[in-house]
Amino acid sequence: MAVEWAEKDDGELLALIQTGSHHAFGVLVRRHTERFYRLAYRYVQNRETAEDIVQDAFLKLWEEPSRWQPGRHSKFTTWFYKVVVNLCLDWQKKKRPQSLPEDMPLVDQRDRPEQAVVRNEERRRLETEIAALPERQRAALNLCFAEGLSNQEAAEIMGVNLKALQSLLMRAKATLKERLGD
Amino acid sequence: MTAMRDEKLEEMLRSRRVEPPSADLAERIILKAQAIPQSQALPLGQSLRRLFAEFHLPKPAYVLAGTLLVGFLLGFNNPFDTTPPVNSVTSPTAQAYLYADEDDL
Repeated sequence: MAVEWAEKDDGELLALIQTGSHHAFGVLVRRHTERFYRLAYRYVQNRETAEDIVQDAFLKLWEEPSRWQPGRHSKFTTWFYKVVVNLCLDWQKKKRPQSLPEDMPLVDQRDRPEQAVVRNEERRRLETEIAALPERQRAALNLCFAEGLSNQEAAEIMGVNLKALQSLLMRAKATLKERLGD
Repeated sequence: MTAMRDEKLEEMLRSRRVEPPSADLAERIILKAQAIPQSQALPLGQSLRRLFAEFHLPKPAYVLAGTLLVGFLLGFNNPFDTTPPVNSVTSPTAQAYLYADEDDL
């Protein structure tokens, strides 16, 4: 029975959620929570906030399952990325940008101590510079590099055409290269 | 040189660290959802379909036969009386009044 549920695709689960199935909701949440948490975390750089955003997104879906319209939206994950990104942007508008916490685990455990210090500093600078990028450039970077989505998928999520997305990526990378130096 | 920097930047972008979420995040979300009722804001088409579904007869033939049977039973139990009541407007006195002037013609 558990295998049957796990085999259902997102569309089937969403149809069941629209009939009030808690079980289908549970399967969908367990399947995608981590992926959307990662995306939220890249925006807010804070675990609790990222968890709150993901929770909020899923609970909104549960409360009003008719938000998902299979005819209008191509793929659940593409649509839900958009929902999570919008919640992150709302959060950012309300809050002042926060500096990265000192104990943030930016260091790769495999690095030697001296390498780790250099790498930690590089990554901290990178996060600071990404946070300072314009909203759309940051979204493009997060979706394409961090989430590993194709440019086409990222463009669909952001509601822009492919060329516009490529241009956003180019400008973001140029800005980062310039600010991070060599 | 630029190509090298591109590669390095892209590598750094791909390997950005994320603090892992709480182990029970998914379960917390599922538990919270159990306390929240769903609101059914359906699109017009879907709500009309649901409305019609309310009137769906599971076995239309049985329902039709049952309705006819009840109709016949009620009909036979209350036979239709075709004779006019005594004090109706078609009583002999009234009829005589209606035809009173015809004799003069």
